Amino acid sequence: MYIFATEVDIHSQSLKDWVLVYILTGSVVLLNLFPIILPPKANSFSMDSAVYLATLFLYGLNFALQVLFIFSVIELYRNQRMSAWRHLFNFSMYCLMISGAYYSFLFFNGDIGKINVHHLFPYLISLLVYFSINVLLIFLFFYFIGQVFKGALELGVLKEACVGYSVTLLLSMVLAILLSEEKYFGLSLFIILVTILSIVFRKFLELYQLVSNRANKDHLTGLYNHGFFKETLKEQFSDCKMLKQPLTLAFLDLDDFKKYNDRNGHLQGDRLLAFFGKLLQKAVEGTSFTVARYGGEEFAILMPNTTKEDAYAFLNRLRKEVNDTYFEGVEHIPYRCLSFSCGIAEMEKDMHESDELIHRADQALYYAKAQGKNNVQLYDKHNMSLDEIRFKQDLEALEQQVKFFLSKDVYTYRHSKRVFKYALEFGSRLDELTDHERQTLVLGALIHDIGKIEVPRDILNKRGKLEKHEWEIIKKHVTWGREIVAAEKRFDDLLPLVELHHERYDGKGYPYGLKGEEIPKLARILCIIDSFDAMTTERPYQPTKTFEEALEEIERCAGTQFDPVYAAKFIAFVRKHYLPLAEMEQLN
Amino acid sequence: MVYDGIILSLLIGWFRGGSLKGLANMKLRGGWLFPLLLAVQFAVFFLQERVAWIAKMSNGIFLLVYIIGLVFLWLNRHQPGFPVIFAGVLLNFIVMALNGGRMPVSIEAAQFLGREYIEALKAGMYGKHQAITSETLLPFLGDIIPLSPPYPRQQVISIGDVVMNVGAFLFIQHLMLSAPRHGADDAENETTAAPANQ
Repeated sequence: MYIFATEVDIHSQSLKDWVLVYILTGSVVLLNLFPIILPPKANSFSMDSAVYLATLFLYGLNFALQVLFIFSVIELYRNQRMSAWRHLFNFSMYCLMISGAYYSFLFFNGDIGKINVHHLFPYLISLLVYFSINVLLIFLFFYFIGQVFKGALELGVLKEACVGYSVTLLLSMVLAILLSEEKYFGLSLFIILVTILSIVFRKFLELYQLVSNRANKDHLTGLYNHGFFKETLKEQFSDCKMLKQPLTLAFLDLDDFKKYNDRNGHLQGDRLLAFFGKLLQKAVEGTSFTVARYGGEEFAILMPNTTKEDAYAFLNRLRKEVNDTYFEGVEHIPYRCLSFSCGIAEMEKDMHESDELIHRADQALYYAKAQGKNNVQLYDKHNMSLDEIRFKQDLEALEQQVKFFLSKDVYTYRHSKRVFKYALEFGSRLDELTDHERQTLVLGALIHDIGKIEVPRDILNKRGKLEKHEWEIIKKHVTWGREIVAAEKRFDDLLPLVELHHERYDGKGYPYGLKGEEIPKLARILCIIDSFDAMTTERPYQPTKTFEEALEEIERCAGTQFDPVYAAKFIAFVRKHYLPLAEMEQLN
Repeated sequence: MVYDGIILSLLIGWFRGGSLKGLANMKLRGGWLFPLLLAVQFAVFFLQERVAWIAKMSNGIFLLVYIIGLVFLWLNRHQPGFPVIFAGVLLNFIVMALNGGRMPVSIEAAQFLGREYIEALKAGMYGKHQAITSETLLPFLGDIIPLSPPYPRQQVISIGDVVMNVGAFLFIQHLMLSAPRHGADDAENETTAAPANQ
């Protein structure tokens, strides 16, 4: 304000100058109405800075500030919803930027009044000052308002801003030359050019958004599609994990949709899906939730920053609302109303991958279906145990796979069997595990080294020390194992065990270097058993330890390599059940 | 100048795919005021040289016309463009009211309009205009913007006129582009009714 009051002098100028001020102001307004929008991220920069700078270079500070003032008055009139102090802030910021640029221009011997192409340095400096004042003030603004926006200082953003500003400088030079050569006609050429550019870029953006929407949206319901949902889930999963915020996933499945389709025809079925999609869309309006059509009649809602209890309340309310909504043809299905079943799962600390969340929500959904449909269920590991027959089947299937080692690498075959046995016995003595977790641990123990089937025989059976690159290959067995096990969907629960049983409690393990509680509980337990067996059996590449020595080693590494709680329990378990046997063997 | 603006608006509206039918949708409060005001202005303009008392009263009448016009605009301020027209007319009104009911014209800017015009202006005899002198208040709101080639007509206008025209432009664009267009909606329906799952 002060700068404005001291620098502006409206009395001494002629009416001709007034016309110039009007026209410059008009062009600033126009350029603000037509900012140039750049796809793909809808960054826009308006070219008004170019006008201010060109005015500054040609006519001096007084003019530029007048243009700014009239423009601000127009903005005040036009944008009455914005609070007055924000208008004032904008005005003062531009005042500072313009005068800062002006004085630095003078300081480096710039000539006001004509463009000197042999001495470009002052122009550069004044733009730099203009730019830095802008960035600084905007940063301070957001800092004091208390919302330092994420990524404000990221390199990418800064880079883009730099591009924008160098374009501004170039354009201001162009405009200044046009103005000094052909005054009004030059200015109008410039304005027309920039406006047309803006319109063209806007068309590009529309086209881009149209295409990207096609790729991300399901065309029947208008919700996001499966692929986009998976991607969003992955992002949100890692974000929420890093920020330690809750993340909840809900799967919804329309009840008896197949019957509805059979009675009313597929076209009507599609209409129901579209209708239900709209209902969901409306339900999440104004929240940060993401709704997607997961496939067929299955829908998914991703709820960041929401605990499972809140999600339960939300979805149960939605369920009742849906029950009360009539849709043509629902009288022919068993419930005689529109209904869905829903399963909810919340991210937990030891979850490693977003797929686990999907798996859990899916299980909860199946449970909800089994409970007679039209209800909402939270994932609860106690409800989800496998029955004995399925467990036996799974065990047999996995044993078949492990048998491949009989011919290729008998060490690994025996090792897998032993670890399986330890897991069975140790697991049954761990009271905190649910039935399901116990079964998972046992199956995982059996299959955990399956990836070694990909490791060449001569590395597996090599006597003597392994080379560095050979170790690298051995280390890959966890990833390969994961790929093998992932081939069958029913073994999804085992994936973390196979992939993460070489992670260390202190974060120095492989393949990801996870730390502490980040490693799934079962993988931490398996790691102890696996290491114990590895130490106590004959292996080509290391000396054998006795049970007692191995236990001492585990004790020593508890807290670094192993989870201290389970390490202690395991030591107690072996002491009680194996050491007496081993001692007897020695005696004999 | 006002007519130039309207013609330009119609042309651009047409290029943007608008339709003249939209103009029929114009719903203004107190719409009958507008032609009346126009008629009064013309009457005064032609009669003031013949009838002495009208010449005397002309300044007052012009101001009154402006005031009624402003009221009319204010009544319709929710129409797109009208706040802008209002601002423009207000600017003109302010400068006229402050300078005795006549629009100050810059001699310098009006040079090319011809010697007779300038003489008449200086004598204070030309319609509702007068020359800008050192006593003129807020001279920068007067008729100081010369329209010159490449613009096809030669005239001097005020910033208020410009703002007013911008408002009229916005209003006409709104009318022309909001006319219902057939065909576009039907095509959209067709693309969404595609085969689906299950």
